Amino acid sequence: MSRGVLQGVGLVRRYGGLTAVDHVDLVAPPGMITGLIGPNGAGKSTLFSLLTGVEQPDEGQVLLGTTDITRMRPDIRSRRGLVQTFQVPSLFPTLTVADNLLVGAENRRRDYAGGLLGLSAQGRGRISRTVAGLLERTGLAPKGPVDQVVEEVLASLGLADLCDTIAGTLPTGALRLVEFARALCAQPDILLLDEPASGLDNAETAKLSQLLRQTADRGVGILIVDHDVDLVFSVVDQVYAMVGGKVVASGDPQTVRDNPTVRSVYLAQAPLAAAGQAREGS
Amino acid sequence: MTSIDLGLAGISLGAIAALSGIGLLVTYRTNGVLNLAQGGIATLVAYVFREMVVEWGLPIWLAAVLALGVVSPGIGLLLERLVFRPLARRRASAAESLVASLGVLVLILGITAGLWGLGSRSDAPSIFPAHSVRLFGDTRIGVDALAELAMVVVFAIVIGLIGARTAFGRQIRAVVDDRQLAELSGVPADRVAAAGWAAGTTLAGLTGVLLAPRFQLNPYGLTLLVLETFAVVVAARLSSMPVAVLTALGISILQSELRQFTLDGDAGQILTVLQSNLFIVALLILLLAVPKLRELGSGDSGATSSFSSRGAPPSGRVGQTRFRRDYLGKLGGFALLLAPLTFAPSDLRSAFQVPALALIFLSMVIVTGYSGQISLGVAGFAGLGALLSLKLANGDLFGLPALPGIWAMLVGALLVAPVGLITGYPAIRRRGLTLALTTFAVGAVVSRFVFEQPTFASGLYLDPLTAFGHALSEKAFYVLELLCLGLGLLVVRNLHHGRLGRALLAVRDHSGGAAAIGVDVRNLKLLAFTVSSVIAGLGGALLVHSSYSFAADDFAPLQSLLWFTAVVVFGADSAAGAIVAAAFMVTIDVLAPAGTSTLAVGILALALGWMPGGLASAVRGVLRLLAQYLADSFVDPNQRAPRPVPVRISAVGYLPATTGIVGNSGLPGIGATLGAARSGHVPRWPAVSGSYGPLAGAPAPTPFGAALVAAVAQYAAGQAGQVTHAAAPAGGPDLVGTAAGTGSSGGPGEPISGPGPTTQAGGWR
Repeated sequence: MSRGVLQGVGLVRRYGGLTAVDHVDLVAPPGMITGLIGPNGAGKSTLFSLLTGVEQPDEGQVLLGTTDITRMRPDIRSRRGLVQTFQVPSLFPTLTVADNLLVGAENRRRDYAGGLLGLSAQGRGRISRTVAGLLERTGLAPKGPVDQVVEEVLASLGLADLCDTIAGTLPTGALRLVEFARALCAQPDILLLDEPASGLDNAETAKLSQLLRQTADRGVGILIVDHDVDLVFSVVDQVYAMVGGKVVASGDPQTVRDNPTVRSVYLAQAPLAAAGQAREGS
Repeated sequence: MTSIDLGLAGISLGAIAALSGIGLLVTYRTNGVLNLAQGGIATLVAYVFREMVVEWGLPIWLAAVLALGVVSPGIGLLLERLVFRPLARRRASAAESLVASLGVLVLILGITAGLWGLGSRSDAPSIFPAHSVRLFGDTRIGVDALAELAMVVVFAIVIGLIGARTAFGRQIRAVVDDRQLAELSGVPADRVAAAGWAAGTTLAGLTGVLLAPRFQLNPYGLTLLVLETFAVVVAARLSSMPVAVLTALGISILQSELRQFTLDGDAGQILTVLQSNLFIVALLILLLAVPKLRELGSGDSGATSSFSSRGAPPSGRVGQTRFRRDYLGKLGGFALLLAPLTFAPSDLRSAFQVPALALIFLSMVIVTGYSGQISLGVAGFAGLGALLSLKLANGDLFGLPALPGIWAMLVGALLVAPVGLITGYPAIRRRGLTLALTTFAVGAVVSRFVFEQPTFASGLYLDPLTAFGHALSEKAFYVLELLCLGLGLLVVRNLHHGRLGRALLAVRDHSGGAAAIGVDVRNLKLLAFTVSSVIAGLGGALLVHSSYSFAADDFAPLQSLLWFTAVVVFGADSAAGAIVAAAFMVTIDVLAPAGTSTLAVGILALALGWMPGGLASAVRGVLRLLAQYLADSFVDPNQRAPRPVPVRISAVGYLPATTGIVGNSGLPGIGATLGAARSGHVPRWPAVSGSYGPLAGAPAPTPFGAALVAAVAQYAAGQAGQVTHAAAPAGGPDLVGTAAGTGSSGGPGEPISGPGPTTQAGGWR
């Protein structure tokens, strides 16, 4: 299995006189959970936007595997396996949960013209079946039948009961979970999660970190930006700490936790020992 | 005339445009509403002013005071109180406010046309005497120009000072930032908003009164003229008043200066058009060039999902009921569409316009309802389709051989695709307000530079259509129209179903979220625009054949606004709504005096505040309520599931509360069907025995209704025992809707489980 590594190389982003991201290098390897922490205004969100393609860097490169994706649009990046979730859940409120997931699962190709002519890869017609078969053989089709992917994800996240619910009617906790499920349906190589725990209660957060671990164990690389230091340190394999647009410390959680700059700037208040034990215990 | 004279001549018009721009900015900066009705208000006030002076014989000064001091601000206060305050109170999106102002525009146009007719009048009185004063040498400037310039300076300074220096200015900014929050801090938000509206409409009225004597007074012409001054506020990026004033003067003086040049050939013709249309060209160029308007609020003014309350058709196995219900509805609709074939020839000819207009409306359903873009230039596409197909039929297009009429129509419509594609490009990055104005400008430019030009739009022959060597009879033509409509419906259906439909709705609901999971937002938007333009083109071609002539007025820019409003009113995401809207407008125009359909659409548009999602949504809601009402009276209160609270689904669209109706405990035919019909929207709530009154939550019945329902309920209660047994074996072949109905079934107190992960209940769409 050749999963891509996500790499930011010498990324710089300036707004007028302010350098929000200042020559940042970052690697998010597959199968590992990478954390990104920093106080407000440290440049985490900007860096995140540079990686997802919402913004373009002034200098530097974003690489996925060996491909330079610096100038690619977010949707192209996503089709190449780099999938993000949002700080404010971005479900499609008028669609059902199942349809939300389907949209995630079925957009790794983009032959929309076929749909316009009434052909659909899952259709009943002989022509469309043939087309679907051809696509499958040439490797252009998604990795598995999309329905199956959706069902698997629904089942593994315990969302099967919600599948016919209109997404706009869900409470925040469920929204986050469904958005995560939708991202999984896109079969990502790298998942970028922007504050996935905000708005979740303790039980939901615990469930989330369990899910993250399971996902990473299946070979998906995860980059997580969150204010919740406890969550980050309890779940990640490596951490980057940003202050003032620069990475001031990186490495395994213990190293970063012990870094004096990180301690003074960001973690002074946080009960770190407890967080560390939680991680080791799990 | 020298350059200086021409420049001075331009000042007057520029000053009026500046006044209009200041009015627009005042309304926008105090209320966050870009008042598209500005043109309509200007026209209405100009008509009132003329009426008072010419018909009633009032002195000009008195008429001016009444028109500008009473009528104009009165209109503003009325609009604020009745239309925009309710919208602001429920934090309606900018897109909704935009549509509301379109509704006001359409309503005012309807009123004006209804009261004074559509004809032009050239006797509009002028406020200022026709004197001029000497500046230097032989150069003179009109008193009006000087007075208008003075007014611009005074207004700009006074409004600027109020905004920057007074407590009231601070209150304005607070209200615009967050109305609710400002109210909580003790700011009289309603008064601030009302003052903004009154000032804005007064300036609109002034614009109208000043413009009317320079041009002919005519409802559509004057309105469009004022709409063109949007160029000024776009240049000001919706915020800077000095920029707006300078741009207005600049464009106007430049336009005036162009008059000293003449060129030969095609360039000369373009120059001639520019000499009177520089504002509209500037609007388009500025919209394409200005990077981003400083929109107030979240800038999420493109959230058109507020016009469209429903999602995609369910993707899984669809219950049989739904299929049958749809089938019956479609059959009924088709029969109605066939009815004109039995009409007398003259009525059949009137009906010709229905399928044509329906196609144009369908094109808007694609762009607005399904992919969430506001497009106000559809008349341009329709007109281009008409013109290109005529030219093809005449053998007059790029030296192509003449095509037979029907083929020319289809090919002509396809030729509109590139134009749609080009128009779609700005739509990739633009949303809401900017996109609405851009598409409007495209439509207006196409109208001015193509439809109104004799080179393009004259000397065209409209030959009768032929098929297999025979001329088509009128009935055959109508059938042909229906076939085209069917083709359009097929395309719309494919755009709304399956993967493509879901992807489009995803873009409409949250384009960032869609892009994040790989939906090709850019190409989908382009696809929607292109397909939509082709369908509009086909509709335009049919429209020309059904009215036997090509008239530029049929495809005037204001038509786009009227049509767009009609589509939103009848449900922007409803294909059936589009057809009903077409039938409605054509019928009214045939039965009532000209302008009545405009008036009707305007009234309905203002009612949008009370029925988000348009008539289609309202009908769906009423049916749902009715179903609930009936079902409630058939169901044993002890077996009823609790009623979920109404759920917020989009910016405004509240789904009416639905009961988790118990499919197998009511009458099989009705209970199960209704349960199926509604289960799509119902989270599977665990059913617990409730103790609700028989009609809890349902609308209070009339005495007769109550008696009727009581009788039926009594009957049903008597039957219930047998019925339950009959309904028990779920999945029986005669039990329509069981597949979906069981989705919400379950005994009291027991958690309801779905029939299986793959089954998706049929949604009530």
